[in-house]
Amino acid sequence: MSINEKFSSIRKGLLEFLVLKIISADHVYAADILQELNATEFATQEGTLYPLLSKLRREELVDYEWKESEAGPPRKYYRLTPKGKDQLRDTLDYWQKINGTVKSLGQK
Amino acid sequence: MNRVITINLNGNAYQLEESGYDALRAYLDDAARRLEGNPDKDEIIADIEQAIGEKFRAVLGVNKTVVVTKEVTEVVGAMGPVEDGSSEGKSADTSGPQQATSSKAAAGSSAAGDADCGPQGVRRLYRIYPEGAMLSGVCNGLAAYLNVDATLIRVGFVLLSLLWGAGVVLYLLMVVIVPIAVTPAEKSAASGAAATAQEFIRRAKAGYYEGMKTFHDKHAHREWRRKFKRDMRGWKHNFQREMYENTYNWRQHWAPQSGQPHPQFWVGMGFTVMILKWVRLLFFCLGIYAVYSLVTKGGVFGVVLPSGIPLWVGIVAIVVIYQLLTLPLKALQWSCYYRGAPPHACGPWLAGPFAGLIWLGFLAAVIWLGDHYVPQFHEALKQLPPLLHQAVDAVQKWLERA
Repeated sequence: MSINEKFSSIRKGLLEFLVLKIISADHVYAADILQELNATEFATQEGTLYPLLSKLRREELVDYEWKESEAGPPRKYYRLTPKGKDQLRDTLDYWQKINGTVKSLGQK
Repeated sequence: MNRVITINLNGNAYQLEESGYDALRAYLDDAARRLEGNPDKDEIIADIEQAIGEKFRAVLGVNKTVVVTKEVTEVVGAMGPVEDGSSEGKSADTSGPQQATSSKAAAGSSAAGDADCGPQGVRRLYRIYPEGAMLSGVCNGLAAYLNVDATLIRVGFVLLSLLWGAGVVLYLLMVVIVPIAVTPAEKSAASGAAATAQEFIRRAKAGYYEGMKTFHDKHAHREWRRKFKRDMRGWKHNFQREMYENTYNWRQHWAPQSGQPHPQFWVGMGFTVMILKWVRLLFFCLGIYAVYSLVTKGGVFGVVLPSGIPLWVGIVAIVVIYQLLTLPLKALQWSCYYRGAPPHACGPWLAGPFAGLIWLGFLAAVIWLGDHYVPQFHEALKQLPPLLHQAVDAVQKWLERA
């Protein structure tokens, strides 16, 4: 089992956290989220992202507004709700903790 | 050679090779199946359609108007299978501990979030003009913002205007400050319509439903109809629906009654309309004169403008009073044209146009009573003829000078 496969479920779990982090830049279009993710190990497809975004919105972590675009139909631009910001902060803290744990274990 | 099928993805037409169309259809059907039970199914599908449309646009150019099958399969492949991360462990092929925990988290929070069911649009104050607006859409917008009847707001403004013109000042301020709702998004924000209503407007605007209808296969057509019905049910209480209902009621009410009316009806109608027109003309002349005498003498019909109030407030007040007085007249005139009253309400004679005469008689009676029992009113009436003479003289002088 390659490392890539071993970490597939972990990547999947982290995806929500990363999407929140990207959206924290404010007024983000879904295609931009994908573009940013695809440059990393967390490459994702629309088929996964859209259901995830709608789930985040249902959980009131993100919100979107329609903006007319120059070409084509209006687009949804996402941003974090206050609740989403809180959650992102908490997750970041937790992630730091895990990072610290990974580094500190076995260092004696 | 391949047959080409034109499809509509979120308002833009794309031409696909037939086998490519089948591939896309299969992908979307599969997506719909996987999202079964997801409360946001339609929205996710719409998002996916829009994303597919954007990918198609990227491969098309001036000299290339058809998306070939290979490109469709590439695009569909790039989209990836739709994974419903939120429905309770329903997804077919994505399992594992991570999936399970996220499903549970979703279930927990959706139970908490269900109280206010669904996305609620942000409500903002706009002027709504010209849809249903009377002057500039201030009352209309305020009514939508507060979710009350616009007439109530208008009456409120008029009452407020009686307090040293406060309503008028407020109204003019709002005309200047409050922006008009222009884009569909702003229009729905004006009434705080839920995002689903925005969605409806957007889809209607984008020809979404029209496009779905043109699918050349029975299954898709049936699906379209189901979807449309479901959407309409879901948005039963939004303002769009209300608007349609109002229009329908209005038509029902004002539509010509079936059957030819009594010949006397037309005689009565012509007579009444003529009288109404003369009365309105009289009101108009009085209004012009009132403004003129207010500007030149600082008072109207013996009523002097109180010193604290600026001139323009007085002028606006006159305009408002003029509107108020002529409004029923206008309404009567329209009701004559449209034969508004139902014929069986109180017989053919009293219905429709003659109601207008009755109203005029009532007005005359009120004036007569006021003349007899309210001394101030009597004085004002007595001053009317000389005032009118003065007005005519003033106009003549002005013409001579000009």
